[in-house]
Amino acid sequence: MRTRIIASLLFTATCITLPRIQAAPPAGSEKPPTREESEYFEKKIRPILVKNCYECHSGDVQKAKGHFVLDTREGLRAGGDSGPVIVPGQPDDSPLIEAIKYEGLEMPPKEKLSDELIQELTRWVEMGAPDPRVGKAAQVKNKIDLAEARKFWAFQPPHRSPPPASQATVWARTDLDRYIQSARDKKGLAVAPDADRQTLLRRITFDLTGLPPTPEEVDQFVNDTSDNALATVVDRLLASPRFGEKWGRHWLDVVRFGESTGKERNIPFRYAWRYRNYVIDALNADLPFDQFIVEQLAGDLLPADTDAERDRHLIATGFLAVGTKGVNIKDGDQFRYEVIDDQIDVTSRAFLGLTVACARCHDHKFDPIPISDYYALAGIFRSTDTHSGVKPGAKSATDRALLKLVQTGSTTTATSRKTTKELAGHAERQKEIEEINAKLTALRQQQRDMRKVARQQNNKKKKKPQVPAQPVADNGSANDLRKQVKELEDRLEKLEGAATPAGDFVMGVSDGKIQNSPLLNRGELKDKGEEVPRGVLTVLHNSFGKITPKQSGRLELAHWIASPDNPLTARVFVNRVWQHLFGEGLVASIDNFGALGEEPTHPELLDALALQFMNEGWSVKNVIRTIVLSRTYQMSSQHSAADFAIDPENHYYWRKERRRLEAEEIRDAVLAVAGALETDRPEGSPVLDLPNNQIKGGKGLGDLRKATNVRSVYLPIVRGNVPEMLAVFDAADPSLIIGKRDVTTVPTQALYLLNNSFMMKQAEQLAQRVLKPSGLNLEARIDLSYRLVLGRLPSPHEKSEVFQFLNDYQQSLEAAGTKGNLQLATWASFCQTLLASGEFRYVY
Amino acid sequence: MFPNRLGDLFSRREMLKSASCGFGFLALADMLTRAATAADSGNNLLAPKAPHFTPKAKRVIFMFMAGAPSHVDTFDYKPQLAIDDGKEGGGRGKGRKLMKSPFQFSQHGQSGLWFPETLPNLARHADELCLLNGMHTDLPAHGNATLMMHTGNFRFVRPSMGAWTLYGLGTDNTELPGFITLNGERGSAQNYASAFLPAAYQATSIQGTERNKSAVANIENPKLSESLQRRQLDLLASLNRERLEKDVVNPGLEGVIESYELAFKMEGALPQIMDISGETEATQKAYGIGIKGTANFGRQCLLARRFAEAGVRFIEIGVGGWDQHRDLKAKLTTNCHSIDKPIAALLTDLKERGLLQDTLLVWGGEFGRTPGAQNKDGRDHNATGFSMWMAGGGVKGGLRYGATDEHGVSAVEKRMHINDLHATMLHLLGIDHERLTYQYGGRAIRLTDLGGVVAKDILA
Repeated sequence: MRTRIIASLLFTATCITLPRIQAAPPAGSEKPPTREESEYFEKKIRPILVKNCYECHSGDVQKAKGHFVLDTREGLRAGGDSGPVIVPGQPDDSPLIEAIKYEGLEMPPKEKLSDELIQELTRWVEMGAPDPRVGKAAQVKNKIDLAEARKFWAFQPPHRSPPPASQATVWARTDLDRYIQSARDKKGLAVAPDADRQTLLRRITFDLTGLPPTPEEVDQFVNDTSDNALATVVDRLLASPRFGEKWGRHWLDVVRFGESTGKERNIPFRYAWRYRNYVIDALNADLPFDQFIVEQLAGDLLPADTDAERDRHLIATGFLAVGTKGVNIKDGDQFRYEVIDDQIDVTSRAFLGLTVACARCHDHKFDPIPISDYYALAGIFRSTDTHSGVKPGAKSATDRALLKLVQTGSTTTATSRKTTKELAGHAERQKEIEEINAKLTALRQQQRDMRKVARQQNNKKKKKPQVPAQPVADNGSANDLRKQVKELEDRLEKLEGAATPAGDFVMGVSDGKIQNSPLLNRGELKDKGEEVPRGVLTVLHNSFGKITPKQSGRLELAHWIASPDNPLTARVFVNRVWQHLFGEGLVASIDNFGALGEEPTHPELLDALALQFMNEGWSVKNVIRTIVLSRTYQMSSQHSAADFAIDPENHYYWRKERRRLEAEEIRDAVLAVAGALETDRPEGSPVLDLPNNQIKGGKGLGDLRKATNVRSVYLPIVRGNVPEMLAVFDAADPSLIIGKRDVTTVPTQALYLLNNSFMMKQAEQLAQRVLKPSGLNLEARIDLSYRLVLGRLPSPHEKSEVFQFLNDYQQSLEAAGTKGNLQLATWASFCQTLLASGEFRYVY
Repeated sequence: MFPNRLGDLFSRREMLKSASCGFGFLALADMLTRAATAADSGNNLLAPKAPHFTPKAKRVIFMFMAGAPSHVDTFDYKPQLAIDDGKEGGGRGKGRKLMKSPFQFSQHGQSGLWFPETLPNLARHADELCLLNGMHTDLPAHGNATLMMHTGNFRFVRPSMGAWTLYGLGTDNTELPGFITLNGERGSAQNYASAFLPAAYQATSIQGTERNKSAVANIENPKLSESLQRRQLDLLASLNRERLEKDVVNPGLEGVIESYELAFKMEGALPQIMDISGETEATQKAYGIGIKGTANFGRQCLLARRFAEAGVRFIEIGVGGWDQHRDLKAKLTTNCHSIDKPIAALLTDLKERGLLQDTLLVWGGEFGRTPGAQNKDGRDHNATGFSMWMAGGGVKGGLRYGATDEHGVSAVEKRMHINDLHATMLHLLGIDHERLTYQYGGRAIRLTDLGGVVAKDILA
């Protein structure tokens, strides 16, 4: 979008350079247009102007190209830098007509208007250029009325409305249920029965941990008749380390987590995994969400009691550093503003559900966010140094451009994954790097000295040409020096490019040179406007702390977002939680709470949850507990024709919606039921082993794809190279902010499940698991496979079909003279069928 | 995104039941429920959709020449460049000297279009080609410009033009993917991805140079014979149907059932289409298959024809190595040789089969090269002016549209930006580029961004 604007403006800029003439002729001397003339203008002329001219010639006259606007009568009559553009009644003397005929200026610059349109405009000028427009429409429209804008529901503070009184039927168990029931009753909808226990346990185990329940867990729950059976399960699941791995991934989707720069030159982020682990740990520890916000935005500016805490805070700021980076951009300023744009985008959408980045080039088209708000935020991030390990125009990444942890050699580093030999090699390299750096520093100083002396001599020469030159360095000529420096730099690049074991590095941010940002008209660096004081969105009520000239303002920004007075933060987050548990948010447009977003289906409930969230110390686990313990969550997903007829989209929760498992859940569940899942967290990331330069096919990628049975959240997420199974099942694109994933059903998924060697292998493992226990008859083994894979027993009909299949299949193998363990091959084929079944990939 | 739940509105299952039609009815049902089940069922997403107006072309074969071919040595004949050879000028900074083309040009066909001596076979199709000599793009950097060419944008992650096409039109073939690239190794995956569009619209990457079945990921089972897999699929279908009975309405599960059937069809159809042994020797020879230097692109061109014939909507093929910073004469000769026969054969073949009239061929690189010399015998990157060409479905043949200046530095007449190119391609496919939009991040986004003007003069 921006590209195109910039491109077209470049043409425009070269076209309008005529000198400004003093005054326009008085416009009031003409008679008002007749009705026919007005109609003619509206029907024929205005559309031509809107379509072909407004892009450059509308709005604020000071900002318009050639200081000429034609979106008002006044502007059109007044003309611009080159004076009046129309002489009513005399098209031949009107520069506008000349310009559109390309006889002088060439307008519009992109392409000449068609002859038809040129004729139309000529005729109109001939008519006297009747123009019925009144007032300064454009300016008035563009100005944002903040007082009016604040009335929008999302900018109003959450409001507590007591839950509706109990209804005639005693369905509701919790306050949440009362809101839901009240709205549902009003629609005349009935309600689905409660889900059966094994369905409920499978649902809640997947929803909270991303894994299926074991048969033992199912039995235990089904047989637990106590009142708090479910509460016990919920507590167990929330306390499991698997919880953070599941819910951490939700957050990683939102913050466009990826382990490389992406874009046209894809360079690894070798330490992005630290931020990933931080997110998982924060969720497992139930770190209060307001603190979670502040740490991610400004962890580096927080006080810390211990080194470990200090490190954790630094790692948290990876939030601002792991976005895509266009390292091909050579211009440092341009690169910086691209990074800033990413930071503004992720901050505003992830926490506030607002698309602030739309205001980079112009006032937001739909939301009350003026372009000056964008540059107020840009100033905060401009005062922030981003340590992502890459630089503009750089061929390779350098660890030197990263932050360092305080604790070294601690468990937070990943050195133990390397052999001693590798470490020794690394130590040698590090030593050489240090030596080279020292030499370079000395040589560069010499160069500077030499230049200085040369300059002085030059000056002297001008005055007293007789004085002979002094030898300036004993290291030979300037050329020699340059050569030495070049050689050392090349060597340095090579050394740094080698795959090094994990150091104590971390991606993150720190305060840099404190400065405001100028407003960049149309987002263009070359078109700098006034400096905008650092600040936040003016439309929101809650106050923003004063920034001292010595601070970037990031900490204040973080507190402003994490404030209970911010009307959006809590709402946006509880809505995300709701969506993960119900498939659709109370506000369906998860990442957009602005004017183009949806309104909440249950505003009182949304506000009640948001208020409770904040009152209970921003505990994420508490929100989840509140929701899953409601009766609403525990409904069955059973179809009802009558309710379906009234509310086909289930906006009013007459049943629980089914959910397709996410990519990570499918892979993890396959491994889990095969008994192959490794639940230990791997150290670091395979990305650590990549060389510090562009990721290309072949060896580097081969390492990334090495088979592993760890949980999917720990697989390397290199941009453009998301692991095959995850990509096939709609994992989030790591370059994009994804609040809600797509759910597709395509043949490539079917091909994967049927033919990929990973699936074949896991199916065989599962078959071995089912065949292993001694003393089971065929029927019991079929039961066991169903219980493992689907969490239930097969129906008699299913059982007989499977029985038939096993028979047929093994016979076919025998008939074909197949060698090997035919029983295992047969069962593997059946087990794969279960893993490929639709039911396996849905939670009901 | 369409809400998932809308899918339940018109469950195909219920529809089928009430209409008691067979599977032939599915296509219609798909069209009716397209919006409804978009998010939930990939198959529906790919169902054929009506264009905005009557299309001239039904499918696209895009021939991408990575590295940026020199336009003044191929399709933009510049006599003045020869006259001014050695004089200062030629774009991108001072001190460059103009370098005449090392190749002889001559006129061909009724139209008299100019061709270099390096493209003798293609020159015979002069009257089919519509040369676009006024092309320009935003940046002279390979990665950025390649993204620009494929997605219309290099700053933001945007869907590939093939994905947009599929989103707009769906696909006619139910046994094959609708967007295929045989050119998967060229540039980042983002060039072929669906970005925010549903994943069903992304390209299926096929290794064009391999003859065996493994050219598509997971297309063949490493262990099971076809009959054993069929038996497995029968059990699977039966279990899935039983579950569907229980669910009563579950479009997602219906999609799953269909996806297995399509996958099974693809297992059969794709290797068959990739197996060119059934083509006559004469045909293979015409494409340059089996001859070093032309075999690679020849095979891609032949496969493109086979995919086009089978109803695949968007096919990308390509050959790289056009980045001649030095030694231009020898290297460009090799490049031209590698595509000359194959493309000529493709044009002939499509024409003979009556496919050329509704297949749009588009040829070009990410930008052009400077008329000024670099490293004495090479040319540098040039984004301000370059050439592409179109042929087939709905474009005027034998036309030279747009022009660069006298030496070929910048486009000056009938300038055509990448957005304009995309707008024109969509127009030929029957799509109004301003109406083909997708809501993302609070905006209705389109392939042509905020630009795009259809080059009406080239429409047949």
